[in-house]
Amino acid sequence: MAALQLLVNGVALGAAYALVALGFVLVLNATSAVNFAQGDLVMAGGLLAVALAPLIPLPGIVLLPVVLALMAALGLLLALAAYLPLRRRPPVSVFISTIAVGIILQNGAAILFGPEPRAAPPLFGDDTLHIAGLAVPEQSLAIVAVAGLLIGAQQWVFARTQLGRRLRATAQDPEMARACGVPVTAMILVTFAIGAACAGAAGLLLANRYFVTPTSGGDLILKAYIAVTVGGWGSVPGAVVGALLIALFEVGVSSVLSYPVALGALYLTLLAILVLRPQGLFGEAVRRRG
Amino acid sequence: MGERHSPAETVALIAGALALLAYALAFASPYGLRVLTVAGVYALATFGFQIVFGLGGALSLAQGAFFGVGAYVTGILGSRYGLGFEATFPLSMLVPLLLALPVGLAVLRLESHYFALATLGIAQVLHLLAVNLPELTGGSNGLAGVPAAVLFGWAVPRGLPMAGLVWGLVALGGLIGWRLARGRLGRSLAMLRDDPLAAATLGLDVGRLRLVGFGISALFAGAAGALAVHTQRVVSPEVLEFPVMVSILTIAIVGGRGRMAGAVLGAVLLLHLPEWFRFLERGYLVVYGVALLATVVLAPDGLTGLLDRIAARLFGRRPRASVEAKEPPRPQNSPDGLAVDDLRKSFGGVRAVDGVSLELRPGSITGLIGPNGSGKSTVINLLSGLERPDAGRVRLGGREVTGLRADRLARAGLARSFQAAVLPNGAGVLEAVAAARLAIDPDARTAEAHARWALDRLGVGDLAGQGCDGLPAALRRRVELARSLVRRPAVLLLDEPAAGLTDGEKAELAALLRELAQEGVAILLVEHDMGFLLPLAGRVLCLDRGRVIYDGPAGGVRRDSAVAAAYLGRAVPA
Amino acid sequence: MSALLSICGLTAGYGGSSALDDVSLSLAAGETVALLGANGAGKSTLLKALLGLVPARGALYFDGADIGGLATEARVRRGIGYVPEGRRVFAGMSVRDNLEVAGLPAARDRAQDVERVFALFPDLALKSRESAWRLSGGQQQMLSLGRALMGRPRLLLLDEPSLGLSPKLADELFAAVRRIAGTGTAVLLAEQSAARALAVAPRAVLLRLGRVVGDGPAATLSDERLRETFFGG
Repeated sequence: MAALQLLVNGVALGAAYALVALGFVLVLNATSAVNFAQGDLVMAGGLLAVALAPLIPLPGIVLLPVVLALMAALGLLLALAAYLPLRRRPPVSVFISTIAVGIILQNGAAILFGPEPRAAPPLFGDDTLHIAGLAVPEQSLAIVAVAGLLIGAQQWVFARTQLGRRLRATAQDPEMARACGVPVTAMILVTFAIGAACAGAAGLLLANRYFVTPTSGGDLILKAYIAVTVGGWGSVPGAVVGALLIALFEVGVSSVLSYPVALGALYLTLLAILVLRPQGLFGEAVRRRG
Repeated sequence: MGERHSPAETVALIAGALALLAYALAFASPYGLRVLTVAGVYALATFGFQIVFGLGGALSLAQGAFFGVGAYVTGILGSRYGLGFEATFPLSMLVPLLLALPVGLAVLRLESHYFALATLGIAQVLHLLAVNLPELTGGSNGLAGVPAAVLFGWAVPRGLPMAGLVWGLVALGGLIGWRLARGRLGRSLAMLRDDPLAAATLGLDVGRLRLVGFGISALFAGAAGALAVHTQRVVSPEVLEFPVMVSILTIAIVGGRGRMAGAVLGAVLLLHLPEWFRFLERGYLVVYGVALLATVVLAPDGLTGLLDRIAARLFGRRPRASVEAKEPPRPQNSPDGLAVDDLRKSFGGVRAVDGVSLELRPGSITGLIGPNGSGKSTVINLLSGLERPDAGRVRLGGREVTGLRADRLARAGLARSFQAAVLPNGAGVLEAVAAARLAIDPDARTAEAHARWALDRLGVGDLAGQGCDGLPAALRRRVELARSLVRRPAVLLLDEPAAGLTDGEKAELAALLRELAQEGVAILLVEHDMGFLLPLAGRVLCLDRGRVIYDGPAGGVRRDSAVAAAYLGRAVPA
Repeated sequence: MSALLSICGLTAGYGGSSALDDVSLSLAAGETVALLGANGAGKSTLLKALLGLVPARGALYFDGADIGGLATEARVRRGIGYVPEGRRVFAGMSVRDNLEVAGLPAARDRAQDVERVFALFPDLALKSRESAWRLSGGQQQMLSLGRALMGRPRLLLLDEPSLGLSPKLADELFAAVRRIAGTGTAVLLAEQSAARALAVAPRAVLLRLGRVVGDGPAATLSDERLRETFFGG
């Protein structure tokens, strides 16, 4: 029973992590750039929800579209300021420019909100449901449902729409995509917007049960990074599965030992994976760029 | 990059040092002195970062962690065990080094973003340990009561004496860093940052060099951490937090990547910035973020780069000290020729090279031709060690070298050129050629003398003082060739050396290659331009789909029906 | 007859060395021209320069409009289709998605055009849901060609389409090119395999070391002339 309870918690956390990793890997595929600010975007989404809550005194689910839209705009801004000017420079430039954006977001948040942990409103309600002897917080179910829905929507757009095809073509071979009439720069901007929106949604989902502080981004970017490494660099389904695994690991080890031990073990596992199997646990990543 | 200091630079350096000194002695409040001391500490930590990241290009996010480890070593040994400065200071440098070496061995060969991630992971683990091992580290409160640094029985008090100690060490560390940067190590690191493949084919052991750079960065960080603790007299997990790393990274980038002067300039500027933005309180790092972003986007060479440009505009480009040419000695047991037997290589089921045998005798010029995709480039990559063959044997002289790494082959007497000339942008011609001798010569000066000889020999000695950027095609090719020539190779593999040359330039190149062959070099020439190749080569091999379809005298190529069919399609009769 | 494509004084180069040197030529609507020369002669660079994939100087007019300043995607949308060397299909996408991504904005037009490509290459229709990387080399080449047709081009640029194909597959491919040319699409065909290209194209342009060294009816092109283009005089 206890194990089942942990599983529910782990899946809920994993669903939110999956959104973070998804946004990270989409940008990575479209630009080959590591967006180091992804964790801080999650934090920004969480605090945005905190700030919006008194203005819109309604459940979190109503805030979600507002957060998605504002975060998408922030993603565009990020691309314009920290990616597009550096397109022709070595990849490490973008890595550093996104570190810079992360620093700005993190410390900007500290100035605006102070260092205390804050909670965003729950998506629907605060109740705990009792299902077959399991105490399941309503919020956990809501997280899984909303994250599942958003990931499903992303998959549908990418698989079924002309926009999605163009985004995928841009990610696979930007030059050839141009030669097929795809406006590649616009596609990259859209990808950054989607990536930031995913982060924002994750921020809103996480900021209720797990709280949010201006410094929460640091751990989240590492977890997204680990998820993507575990799942195979560049693989979208791999990132989602990797995120779920990380969350289950974290919840499992925390319950037996402690959160710091879980975190430490996670990072050590990451180092072991990098050294022993840099291609990820699930074989070669789907990375087919010339 | 590490050139000699010009008089203007020396003047600027002395003026800067005097200004700092005057400020410290006459104007600084105790608080101001403290900020200045911390600036010195960060400058010292950044020296190491300039070597591993600025020059080596490896984005280590563990520099802050090494700083923290150095701090904790001094803190724990000083406050818990009462050890003195003479023991704690060296140990504060040694422990980060001992940590860096195994970690470096494991993760330095990873791609750059993985390396950044791995080093960040290490930093996080160390931070967790510091917080969660209170018996050792004092947990999140840290340890108080760290003694002052004791020099020859004198406990250095805070204020001016401590600032003096720190800045004395900054001067010493900066000098060491500057010498490393402009010497063999710094140049080798810069070379492999700009082009790891070319660096390997010039004989540089990429893995070992990166490890050395990483180790040096840890030494500097550890020393800085120890001094930080002697300044604060407490150590807490804050020293292991990400803001330390962010500060070092920002100082390096804003000051100018790879420059020791940039580290000092960046540290002094950035440590004082928060004082001017007091109203931001704990959020002062916002300013760092903005400074970092603005520098990366607008002035990628940082402040020192900007100052250089201003100085160049005011005083003109400074003339480089001329270098006396010196003929590099021929390697002693230089191998005679290269023999290849039944070489094979497939990529994903496609046989790129399918049973190629050839022999390059000393003094001979062999041509390698074939239509697009016939496997010529793969052959040259296999011979130079950039790819490993699936099967077959390669012997250099009498020695079996099959599957040897590129840098080993290069050191064994093999040189190659690339299709697109790979001269590093921003470097001078003399430096670029001298880079090819870094794995051979004892120091950078000797390498430059040898480089000058090679440039003279190719008739472009007057280019020595120029930059590689904007060199016309023919001269670029010439400089590229000088890079191969300067190594006195026994075997020379040239990939399309005549591309983009005029007829006159081609004739000169042909004469030069003949001369080299007469000296006993074995030359393999991949070339499309038959008018250039056929009169020059004694023997020609033609590849088609990875197989040799012609192997014989150059004169027979034009009349061979198999060659004609491979190039023109099957229907054209020979 | 007014020119569909006219190039005047086109010069391009990488890293200081010049790959195209003052190239001028023009193509009429519906004309098929073979672009012949050894590797390194500048054929690929010429096609890429037409699309704006490599920087170049000189005048470029397509259908009477100056396209020299346009972005690649804008040139493509004006009616230029490109089949690159090495096929470069989007490996992780399905055959159908590979075609649709290059198609017109309206879904109905796209569906029509996909059917037209499937009619031309029935093999692709059978594999429409397969990932492109699972196709054989020949099928990938068909897909690359089909993809270039999806924008309803008036000019098709083909870069070494027969490279790496068996003679039988190459024959099939050239038959398809002939059919496409027959519908009034102009074709500029860069080929090393001169014999095949000349069987399709009534006119040939010879490139050597970045310069046009011959331009005329294929029938008047002697073997000796060809040999010179490839091997030098």
